[in-house]
Amino acid sequence: MFKKEKQHIEKAERGKLAQTPFALLRRRFGRKRRAVWSLRVLYVLIFIAVFADFIANEKPVYCKIDGETYFPVLRQYAVDLGLAQWDARFFQKEWSEHEYEASVFPLIPYSAKTIDSKNSGYKSPFASQRIESNRYRHWLGTDKVGHDIAAGMVAGTRVALLVGVIAMSIATVIGVLLGALAGYFGDQGFRMTHTRLWVNLAALFFAWFYGFQARGLALQEDGGLLEGLGIAIGILLLANGLVFLTKKIPVKIFRKKITLPLDLLVMRTIEVFNSIPGLLLLLAFVAVLQKSSVFYVMAIIGFIRWTGIARFLRAELLRVRNLSYIEAAKAMGFSHARILFRHALPNAITPVLITIAFGIASAILLESALSFLGFGIAAEGVTWGQLLSEARRYPGAWWLAVFPGGAIFVTVTIFNLLGEGLSEAMTSE
Amino acid sequence: MLRYLTKRILLFIPTLLAVSLLAFGLSRLAPGDIVLNYLINNPFETAISSPSDLLNAERNYRQAANVLNRDKPAFYFSVSPKAYPDTLFKIVIKDRRETMEKLIARYGNWPQIESYYQQVRALDLKILAQPDSLSRIFVPFKVPLRELYAAWQEHAIDARLGEMETALANDSLLMAAVGNDFFILKNKFQTVKTEATPGQLNIPAFRWHGLDNQYHHWISGFVRGDFGMSVFDRRPASDKIKPALFWTLVLNLAGILLAFLLAVPLGVWSAVKRGKTFDKITSLGLFMLYSLPAFWIGTMLLVFFTTREYGMNIFPGPGLGNVPSDASWWEKILLAAPHLFLPVVCIAYPALAFISRQARGGMVDVLGQDFIRTARAKGLPEGAVIWRHGFRNALFPVITLIASVFPAAIAGSVTIEFIFNIPGMGWLTYNAILMKDWPIVFAILMLGAVLTILGMLVADVLYALTDPRVRFKE
Repeated sequence: MFKKEKQHIEKAERGKLAQTPFALLRRRFGRKRRAVWSLRVLYVLIFIAVFADFIANEKPVYCKIDGETYFPVLRQYAVDLGLAQWDARFFQKEWSEHEYEASVFPLIPYSAKTIDSKNSGYKSPFASQRIESNRYRHWLGTDKVGHDIAAGMVAGTRVALLVGVIAMSIATVIGVLLGALAGYFGDQGFRMTHTRLWVNLAALFFAWFYGFQARGLALQEDGGLLEGLGIAIGILLLANGLVFLTKKIPVKIFRKKITLPLDLLVMRTIEVFNSIPGLLLLLAFVAVLQKSSVFYVMAIIGFIRWTGIARFLRAELLRVRNLSYIEAAKAMGFSHARILFRHALPNAITPVLITIAFGIASAILLESALSFLGFGIAAEGVTWGQLLSEARRYPGAWWLAVFPGGAIFVTVTIFNLLGEGLSEAMTSE
Repeated sequence: MLRYLTKRILLFIPTLLAVSLLAFGLSRLAPGDIVLNYLINNPFETAISSPSDLLNAERNYRQAANVLNRDKPAFYFSVSPKAYPDTLFKIVIKDRRETMEKLIARYGNWPQIESYYQQVRALDLKILAQPDSLSRIFVPFKVPLRELYAAWQEHAIDARLGEMETALANDSLLMAAVGNDFFILKNKFQTVKTEATPGQLNIPAFRWHGLDNQYHHWISGFVRGDFGMSVFDRRPASDKIKPALFWTLVLNLAGILLAFLLAVPLGVWSAVKRGKTFDKITSLGLFMLYSLPAFWIGTMLLVFFTTREYGMNIFPGPGLGNVPSDASWWEKILLAAPHLFLPVVCIAYPALAFISRQARGGMVDVLGQDFIRTARAKGLPEGAVIWRHGFRNALFPVITLIASVFPAAIAGSVTIEFIFNIPGMGWLTYNAILMKDWPIVFAILMLGAVLTILGMLVADVLYALTDPRVRFKE
């Protein structure tokens, strides 16, 4: 470790290392022991999440029956995509009951939803289990109906990381957009002509009306929502095209400008979102949804949790926009869009990584709290929160409390440590 | 100061209004028919054997809808396609209203649709008026007719009408009794189809409904302290929320108090010992503590310390034990104390970690300042430097944390109350959602927002009090 660092410094001195802000950040981050270790743990978790089907599965990875070779785990993907079908023989028996000539099973020969009826009723990891050999042992015990907890943990890893990443992606898009607008323009900077303002407001109304309100029946069909969104965006684009045309008309009325207090508007919106306790809002949202799916939960968490990112980016941009190079860009007559996206944002966006890291931790926590309460999970999914809630139902099963909860703890901690490492790397020196 | 305070309060009003709109909008999306939940037995599914039965069922429904304010327009105004009548809300029965909305969305001609739908009901009433001796022959006709109340797709309606026509053709008695009415019905649906005006769907119409609307009643009731009625046991929501709020406040105040008492000395001490082993260990420990999900620790404590399995059942199991409802609040707390210990720990430790991190940060800042060096230079003992000069200055920002910790604790106590079966607000929310008791759910959502906003207000004011610069900045 030390040697490596020395080499780095030497290289840097010889000017061989890149000096972009991002490269600097990476090197500083690399010196934070805890953060680097969390990153390594995160790699392991990502590996488990990506290859979950090859780690815990009731289907063999490879098998040979009656002289024919199969790759059932891979085939499952093809079947899910509608590209292939199962042979009839696989419908007749459970996967464990076939007579294989040769087979390679995953590390954990159970899926999260496999029911091992011989080992139902909360079998402890240390209790004697009714298994053929230790190859089939439930290393982390079973729950009431005989689900393997280890397999559930693997499936839960995928859900947890997916929730963190997707929810925060949604939050980042909303937060960066609103935060950038608020921070870059402030209360005085955003000026538009009266024409543009009123045409846009009218277009917003018509977009809502023709995209959604007037299409009551079409909205309920598959893809109806997307279609509505398309119509709405189309109307908005058309309206702005019209406004562009009025620019050519040399009438004074079309040129009169008005200042929009963007910062105020965004900050008020943030306050509305922050004044409702997150879990309560999430519960209310999930409760009114007819269908329950992890993807809805992710979308809602993203929709609720963008405020932190927006506030952070706003503060950064308030600082950056007063720097002299932005003034220089303005003096050169660049458009607002170009200054914002090419000059201001790249300089302000790295600190947002900190908020994103903490945000992922809180999104994972929020989702597991939700599934712990028993809301928002689809029937086919298994989450850590759900496994943990089993322990509340049957307190005798300590393994149901220790392992899933520990997994939530570890995941949340590493994201928090990553966030802290990033923030230290950015503020040091 | 007064000016600053009024300004802050005025700024919170639009926020509160926006929150109320969000909560109200969500409550409108809630699935199911709340009036039927309130009535417990669906009056349309009980045996209806005479016209008066049907009229009775409709009247019962209408009365219940009136109690729940569901027979009013939703908001002050509405913007909908011109095809929809402005009095659609007067069709109180939700299933029927939704069917008609779908028919309008398809054909766009309300008068024809209304006339068709009236005919369905008239035919239903006519069949019910037939003497009992004839009721058997009506069965093949009656079943598809009843299904017409909820049918809106063209093929579905045509199929039902076809079934009814076959039933008529098979039975001359039936034909004699209701044949005419049936053909009127069939014609009316034909008119709906031929005289469709889908163009009306594309014309927006703005309608003003006045103050007598659902939102106005809900929000003005809320201001008066009337949070609506539980549809589950018909008790006023405030009767259910008050005791729940009591336990939530007891739990959270005790937890936060405990957290402050432990966190402040810990934070100050590790700031003084900055960089030493003690500081490093507490920092790491507090960081871990902060990342520990409270609902996990809650479950672990419940599993290991309240059940006999592991021989460590020091604390009583979930619930509050026997607490008489007429006892004074002090007695209640004393009686429930052993049950409250573990939940309070679960509320306290995340706050503890947060507060002591903040206290340490604040104290480190203060200790680096010149006046501390001056205090040391003039020979004050270290204790006086730390506590009298340093701590006092670091204390104020920490006190303002109460306001920000409190809302977080209220939201966090949902899971804690769920784990330990404490009948607080979180537990009430959980059960209300399970029972689809929407008035309670959205009243709590609103109340949670109000409490949070109050907390933020207190924080702002405390901050302005301790740091006069804040007042003059804007």
